Amino acid sequence: MLRFITRRLLIAVPILLGVTIVTFGFANLAPGDPLSALVRPGSDIKGQDIERLKEALGLNKPVHERYVTWLGQIARGNLGVEIVGGGSIAKALTKRIPNTIKLMGTALTISVVMGVLLGVLSAFRQHSKLDKAMTVVVISGISLPPYLLAILAIYFLAVVPFQLFGIKLLPAGGLEDPVSTLPPLIDELWHLILPALVLAFAGTATFLRYTRASVLEVMRQDHVTTARSKGLAERRVRARHVLRNALLPVVTVLGLSLPSLIVGAIFVETLFSWPGVGQYAIEATREHDYPAIMAVGLLTSVVIIVSNLITDVTYAFVDPRIRVR
Amino acid sequence: MTAGLPPTTASEVDAPIWQPSSDLMAHKARSPRQLAWRRFRRNQLAILALGVISALAVIAILAPLIAPFDPTEVDRKAFGKPPSLEHLLGTDRSGRDVLSRLMHGARVSLSVGVVAVTIYLVIGITLGSLAGYRRGLTDAIIGRVTDTVMSFPGLIIILAVVPIVGRSPLNIMIVIGLLNWPAVTRLVRGEFLSLREREFTLAARGIGARDRRIILRHILPNVTGPLVVLASFGMAEAMIVEAGLSVLGLGIQPPDASWGGDLQAATDVGVLTQKPWLWMAPGAAIAIAVLSINFIGDGLRDALDPRAIVGRR
Amino acid sequence: MTLLSVRDLVVRFRTQENTIHAVNGVSFDLEVGETVGLVGESGCGKSVTSLAITRLLPTPVGRIEGGDILFDGRSLLRLSEAEMRAIRGREIAMVFQDPLTSLNPVLTIGSQMIEGMVAHEGLSTADARTRAVELLGMVGIADGHKRINAYPHQLSGGMRQRVMIAMALSLRPKLLIADEPTTALDVTIQAQVIDLIKELTRRSGTAALLITHDLGVVADMTQRTCVMYAGRIVETATTSELYARPRHPYTVGLLNSISRIDQEPRDLRPIEGAPPDGSRLATGCPFAPRCAWRLPVCWSDDPTLAAEDRDAPVITTGPAASHLAACHNPVRADEVEVGRPQRPGFVAAPNPALVRAATS
Repeated sequence: MLRFITRRLLIAVPILLGVTIVTFGFANLAPGDPLSALVRPGSDIKGQDIERLKEALGLNKPVHERYVTWLGQIARGNLGVEIVGGGSIAKALTKRIPNTIKLMGTALTISVVMGVLLGVLSAFRQHSKLDKAMTVVVISGISLPPYLLAILAIYFLAVVPFQLFGIKLLPAGGLEDPVSTLPPLIDELWHLILPALVLAFAGTATFLRYTRASVLEVMRQDHVTTARSKGLAERRVRARHVLRNALLPVVTVLGLSLPSLIVGAIFVETLFSWPGVGQYAIEATREHDYPAIMAVGLLTSVVIIVSNLITDVTYAFVDPRIRVR
Repeated sequence: MTAGLPPTTASEVDAPIWQPSSDLMAHKARSPRQLAWRRFRRNQLAILALGVISALAVIAILAPLIAPFDPTEVDRKAFGKPPSLEHLLGTDRSGRDVLSRLMHGARVSLSVGVVAVTIYLVIGITLGSLAGYRRGLTDAIIGRVTDTVMSFPGLIIILAVVPIVGRSPLNIMIVIGLLNWPAVTRLVRGEFLSLREREFTLAARGIGARDRRIILRHILPNVTGPLVVLASFGMAEAMIVEAGLSVLGLGIQPPDASWGGDLQAATDVGVLTQKPWLWMAPGAAIAIAVLSINFIGDGLRDALDPRAIVGRR
Repeated sequence: MTLLSVRDLVVRFRTQENTIHAVNGVSFDLEVGETVGLVGESGCGKSVTSLAITRLLPTPVGRIEGGDILFDGRSLLRLSEAEMRAIRGREIAMVFQDPLTSLNPVLTIGSQMIEGMVAHEGLSTADARTRAVELLGMVGIADGHKRINAYPHQLSGGMRQRVMIAMALSLRPKLLIADEPTTALDVTIQAQVIDLIKELTRRSGTAALLITHDLGVVADMTQRTCVMYAGRIVETATTSELYARPRHPYTVGLLNSISRIDQEPRDLRPIEGAPPDGSRLATGCPFAPRCAWRLPVCWSDDPTLAAEDRDAPVITTGPAASHLAACHNPVRADEVEVGRPQRPGFVAAPNPALVRAATS
């Protein structure tokens, strides 16, 4: 077991390095160098001054040296500065990450609970009305892109009630309403509902699908017949022999969804003006702010690699076939 | 066993006994492909979806001929007008006919799907075959590269690359295509690894068939099933990504016609509330197209799965 | 005393694409303490029959569509699911072919052995555990108190099958149904497992229904044997009688296709052709296409089980059981070893449908 973990760690390291190299490469591919972008045209900084500044900032050193320096900075938590405004990227991200986690965390929780529950029920009642209804849910969940759902949700649940009845049923965006009379926590929750539900729709569909498939697969296996042949009550067969085995792969799906806690909501955040990491990335793209985009990319890749590692280890822990000898 | 004692009676010298019974005679042999097609045909939803996509494809191809207006042509008499007899789906705020834009938008969306999928199928199959067939160092290297690419959040890469290479439709198609091949590679590699050791491959090698022939004639045909399913879902995904980028203003923008770009109008509260036809049309188009492709993919997967046993009620 | 009586059992599998006629009128009896073998090729319906007895067929695809199954005097087909569950494990226990897939991989063998005892006999977990360790010893697994916490993948194939047997016998059932219990095991382990089953069933007086395609295993373990083909029983007799003097052409073919220690070495002959796939119900005898003894009537009339002496009373169980064969033209004593009809001028009747087609 320990060997398994060590091996996974060792494999993760070169991938991590590869990711940093690619990120660095991209950042350097961007047209123009950082200094020229900061210099306003028409100002009277002379060419040789620019050269001296470049020398001082180490921009003339060879690529691999700059890479190592850059890596060192990253390790210290310095993710660079934005091209526009010069603010610290790390600080900006630190402010935004909690917002995204609040949104995606809520959505993910709803998705897992609803998805697994409905998936198990659908599988146990295969071909029933519930199952058929769930198939529709799954297909819509994976087909209706989140931005479309967001627009529809805003229209039907925020705009229309206001237009027709004058009710502000749900807010059309933003994190909070500065002039609201509600206590801040409730206000934030009120603003959270719509985007979280939109995100949870697709998430529920995914978990539903995998859980249902897994349960159906396990129900076909021989050991379930053995359990039944021992005369055990069907409820016990399902709980002990079907679900325990079927929910194992769902752990993997959960683990693979962890990265979305950081970058899962790009479209939804932007459409709902939710100040999170996703919205930050879109703004950065619009402003051609490469350091910011690449910082988000690096952050996400690291989260992906780490969560893959955590998923593998958790699965190994939970599945006795891997855990024991 | 010791070799035959000589037959002791004439009847031991065998005339063949085996004769098919009448019910066996009526039994037609069907190839797996025919069986799969029969199963697919029975899925009404998938057939309906196939019809819808075919219709969309025809519209897309013939758009320049059948669209009532040029999608970029401005009708000065009708800025942002609701559906009327002249403009069946209304006009946008710059006076362009929505229906025509929808038809031309179909060209963009469908071609993004097709091109992106083609690119990553080609990359994925090539790399997967090499990794699965050659194994050893080739496999290890390709494996590491695949893992690295898979660790990247696709969307972020697209966001990073699009400002650099510009927003032309072709670039977007290429970028999307370059991101999703790891899944294909893994699938192909897996199939190769398992099929490589199966008897029919060993038999082919035994009679001296060359590598390329073995790959093309024996292994690849077995992979096409899951690949087709993967490709159809990939196409839907590519279309969703392209439309999403356009909605956020990072993809194909007006005056060029694209479903996502036109959907962007919905981000303007005025349009959202007062001119619903502007965004409902492209929104519906995206939804219908992607839904249909997913139904087809689902139907294909059910039809091609040899283990699926569906009971009759 | 008859323990199990299967009467004219019919089982069909109905899928969206076609219907499989898995079992087409199977009848046999089992006495208390008897071990009976059900022999046949893959696909002949023997496993389906065993699943039908315990009503474990995969629903809704598999359905019992005819006949009856009497156990201890009660009709199993008329019982409710709850009543059936009381019988499963407690009175009828099953051992399956592949112990690796038949045991739950994520539970210890101990917990799997215990749950039956707790559910049926109300034992406390501690008592059940003690008994489980005893059972492990009974099937020849040493260090039972340590092994009981092992997971299935930590044991060898032979040990796993012993665990399955222990589990099956833990509630002292009246009938043990063993479906290909040795097929997935090495030959050397096979012999051990066979001996184990024989010993345990003899000691506890448990009746056993042994399902297999392996004629060697049947010869070793059973008192009586039923031969199945295409969902029917084509011959039934005491095992020694069957091997010495088979009457159905299929049985003769089977016995000639294996090497036997009680005969001179000779060429092995497989039976030509292949068994029907069950998607269509044959007219006439299902073995006719492959039979060297066939008469014209074999193509149109499905024969029923009958003894050589049609007037003698039919005894269904025990050492004096009647030797029945479903055949219009049974094999004669002198033809058995040769494997072909030894009647001058006899030619196997051609399929009249083919003849008609050729001459029209």
